[in-house]
Amino acid sequence: MKSRSRLALASLSATTAVVLAFIVPTTPAIAHGTMSDPASRVYTCKNEGPETPKSDACKAAVAAGGTQAYYDWNEVSLLEAGGRHRQLIPDGKLCSAGRDKYRGLDLQRADWPAKRVSPGSLTVTYHASAPHSNSNFEFYITRDGWNPTQPLRWSDLVHLQTFNGQNPSTFTNWTLNLPNRSGRHILYSIWQRVVGSNEAFYTCSDVDFGGGTTNPPTTTTTTQPPTTTTTTTQPPVGGTWAAGTTYSIGNRVTYGGVNYECQLAHTAIAGWEPPNTPALWRRL
Amino acid sequence: MRFFLLVLAFMVSGCATTQPGAVLRGDPLDVMFLQMMLPHHQQGVEMVALAEERAQNEELRMLAAAIEQTQATEADTMRGWLTSWGEPLTAPPDSHAGHGGMRESDPKEVERLSALRGAEFDQRLLNVMIAHQDDAVQMARWESGSGANQEVKDLAERIDKSRTAQIGMMRTFLDRG
Repeated sequence: MKSRSRLALASLSATTAVVLAFIVPTTPAIAHGTMSDPASRVYTCKNEGPETPKSDACKAAVAAGGTQAYYDWNEVSLLEAGGRHRQLIPDGKLCSAGRDKYRGLDLQRADWPAKRVSPGSLTVTYHASAPHSNSNFEFYITRDGWNPTQPLRWSDLVHLQTFNGQNPSTFTNWTLNLPNRSGRHILYSIWQRVVGSNEAFYTCSDVDFGGGTTNPPTTTTTTQPPTTTTTTTQPPVGGTWAAGTTYSIGNRVTYGGVNYECQLAHTAIAGWEPPNTPALWRRL
Repeated sequence: MRFFLLVLAFMVSGCATTQPGAVLRGDPLDVMFLQMMLPHHQQGVEMVALAEERAQNEELRMLAAAIEQTQATEADTMRGWLTSWGEPLTAPPDSHAGHGGMRESDPKEVERLSALRGAEFDQRLLNVMIAHQDDAVQMARWESGSGANQEVKDLAERIDKSRTAQIGMMRTFLDRG
């Protein structure tokens, strides 16, 4: 054991060894995981294969948001959540954690592959590919009468149980007590890390209680997220730099009282202000 | 123990550019953020660089070129900080820091993208870059929220803003395509 740790240390440079000694206690090293049973949407589509989805729901999810989400199935997370789930994740985007990368998971469909369940006890399994101690796990079920073709809102969730101070392993089981429901519902979970990280993970697992004659609503009110329209405008000569404007090489702008000349054609965006982007703007 | 000290002494003397006192000048979280962000940037640059010869959408080609150039200068800044603190540019692979990195885009993705042309390429690049920049936003918010160095946090704020705006643009390109 001793010689082993010596070897390990010898393989690191002194610099990293010293730095590591400082990092380890507070490391926010990122955990990874999702619900494997009942399988979360991301787990289902990952198992079908990101490039070869089989179910109509996964096909639609991949078509809507690409394949990368399903390679990174264990990262439907917010790194700086720190318990602010309801503040950070808007209604309708609970399954993606409000992240564009995972937007395919928010599709409002009544055909997501679902596990058949019954009221009463249900053992659930969480697959943590990088488990971390000191974690809280919260479980919710959608309210009676919830419709899978409607956006999932925070107010649709009924709290089932929270397990605090958990030290998950690669596969961790908990037993929940499911209430009476009929038809399709979503079992929602939040894994909030507590020590050394603010990271939280979110999962949507479709379950079917059966007996549900979930009438397809005659009018599906799909709330389209407002797409930010990039109105590309012609830059006024010698005008003030403005996001949304498309600039060509040689265009001149002022920003903060300083004059700049465009070095590379681009549409200006917040975060690409001239003083911060020497690749795009040359100070005159 | 003696063996270990000898190794340590050898290692320190072996690092010609590293002042023994300099290693602690970078806050551990700032360092980890930069060490994670650098390879992430590199991968993004590799993917957008494919657009010049393959993309069909003129606006996408323009955005890709601007992402490539701005990320290259950001990477220079990030390398500059790490170097000035006497920190390695990448986290050792077997360290906690190395393990802690956000998943980088599948290296095979560059291969898959390379095989495509025109509208098919555009769609795949857009989806993959939306995902990639969404990861960058997550890392940036982590640094802005928990980092220490104000300059690094300012860069993180700009990364958050610019990537969020890029995602918005890329989603409109997708909707139009």
